[in-house]
Amino acid sequence: MQLTDVIGILVETVVLGSIYGLVAIGMTLIYGTLRILDMSQGSMVMIGSFVGWGVMVVAGWSPGLAIAIAFLITFALGTFTELVSVQPLMGRRGFDFEMVTFITTFAVAIVFANLALQIFGPFQKNVSPVVSGGIDIYQGVDLSYQNLTMALVSIGLMAALGLFLTRTRWGLAIRAVAQDLDAARLMGVPVMKLYPLTMGLASALAGIGGVFLGAKFFAYPGAGDLPLLEALIVVIFGGLGSLPGTLYAAYAIGLIQATAEVVVGTTWSLPILYGIILLVLIVRPHGLRGRPEEARL
Amino acid sequence: MSATTTAETAVPLASTRIGRGRTMSVAEKAGVVALVALAALIPLVWSNDYAIGVIVTAMITLVLNTSWNFVLGIAGVWNFGQLAIYALGGYGTGLLMLHTPLPPPLAILGGGALAAAVSVLLAFPTLRLHGIYTSLLTFSFAQVFLFIVVNDPAGLTGGSFGFPTVKGLYSFLSPTAALHAYFWTILAVAVAATLLVAWIRSSRLGIALRTIRDSPAYAAARGISPLKYRVIAFAISGFIAGIAGGLYLSYNQSFTTSAMGLTPMSIDVTMLVIGGLGTIWGPVLGTGVLTGLQVSLVDYPGIQLTILGTILLVIVVFVPSGLVGLLSQIRRRISAWVAEDEIEDDVGVERGGS
Repeated sequence: MQLTDVIGILVETVVLGSIYGLVAIGMTLIYGTLRILDMSQGSMVMIGSFVGWGVMVVAGWSPGLAIAIAFLITFALGTFTELVSVQPLMGRRGFDFEMVTFITTFAVAIVFANLALQIFGPFQKNVSPVVSGGIDIYQGVDLSYQNLTMALVSIGLMAALGLFLTRTRWGLAIRAVAQDLDAARLMGVPVMKLYPLTMGLASALAGIGGVFLGAKFFAYPGAGDLPLLEALIVVIFGGLGSLPGTLYAAYAIGLIQATAEVVVGTTWSLPILYGIILLVLIVRPHGLRGRPEEARL
Repeated sequence: MSATTTAETAVPLASTRIGRGRTMSVAEKAGVVALVALAALIPLVWSNDYAIGVIVTAMITLVLNTSWNFVLGIAGVWNFGQLAIYALGGYGTGLLMLHTPLPPPLAILGGGALAAAVSVLLAFPTLRLHGIYTSLLTFSFAQVFLFIVVNDPAGLTGGSFGFPTVKGLYSFLSPTAALHAYFWTILAVAVAATLLVAWIRSSRLGIALRTIRDSPAYAAARGISPLKYRVIAFAISGFIAGIAGGLYLSYNQSFTTSAMGLTPMSIDVTMLVIGGLGTIWGPVLGTGVLTGLQVSLVDYPGIQLTILGTILLVIVVFVPSGLVGLLSQIRRRISAWVAEDEIEDDVGVERGGS
């Protein structure tokens, strides 16, 4: 392996890891507070990519506006998803809540993907790069401004989320609910308002991720499938519900995938990822930073 | 965020008390026998080959779903790798049919045995995992298997072009006679698989599995070995799934990678949840209802999945315990209502008599 390969891998790791982090951190946030695995996150990425296409290509407006509009639309849709697929199931008994919400959010994802198929058709839509141009870092290793912006905005958004969770009233409330639902309720946290907010916020992050991914690849109805799968791998690898774990995992997965792409080619990168996940879960059953759900006997 | 509590995750799967369960009355048993007999008459009275074919495919799916329900619903292991086991049964059967002189029924049993063996290997790593982590591990296994088949280096499976054509079970019959023969064979297998799972569910093995599912600590305290019971459960479930795969290959005379992957998986899991996870009638109802829905929406290809997704969402939100849960609720209401009525009648009689 040449030095250029190594630098190329590192650049790709930062770019991929940041995007994975942005999409996956929403899933972790949702799992931490609501104890559900939100399968509609992938469709938010897809919707974000279409918003990016609509705003930047069709309407010809600026990328900043595309991000803002994607944020609003996916926030609204995420809230809506929570209200129709999770809220009605809260507090009812006689079924496995995690399994059933897994199915309902998946149903929402099926509906979104097929509505997009009806409205926009199955063809991939090219989206102009959010920013054009790039710099040559080292002997032919390119870093496009597109990728750089993507990484920087993702990292900025994750930092903003961190500040929101540690500094604001609503953020503290979300963390309180994640730590101890009953105690948070007793302290007067309006839990039923917090859940839609959490899911809206997570969906909005995925939506912004979608704007970037749409510009990097294409906008099409299946644009959310692979990011969903990758985000799932990241959150479980990192340990469900652990935000730092998710961040480490996002970059670790980015590194694995970037290395696999260079060493063995793109086709093998996903199966190799799955193979590594198999091994990691056998050795560390709760991911990198997850906690055991119960004391083992 | 990191200090998450875990109490909420351990929501008991069902409020049902674990026991041998309600035994069926003689009338109910007779009803089931009559139902199976009626189903067996379908090919004789209905000469629509398309409809018969749809039912045959649905019954193969039912066998697969029964095996999946056993490990997912009854044993409570979030196994999302079952389609790979199913496909292993299919490919194993196909290889035995192509390369050995074994008669087709034995080839299908061989496919089932191969599937059971791999399923047992999959059982070991799941022992250390819980809930959603198990699903990722098993799903990863299925994806790796799918990838190996698609990029098959040895050329055994035919990759994404599908398995080379095999003769199947009834190549010596005319097409219509073969279709009918498949119908009865697969109906018999579906009934046998359902009866087997029903019997296991209320046996010692089933009670042990449900105890491990609902209360691992209690199971451990009573000396129930998760290793032993889970290996047995995976072996049985894998065998049934492998037989389903072998029947699929035999009926379609081939096996393609389209039988695996995310879409068929989501449809099968939907069938299980809509029917009622962990119940005996759940797979039957779920497979029937969803197949009916898919067939009735065939004329609207564009919005078919949108409607299907919406119906799925509505059913699951209103009846999260599945159709079986809904039906038993209704039955309980009716019997409570009948009991009330009887009391009123008694009171009325007494008044009339005085």
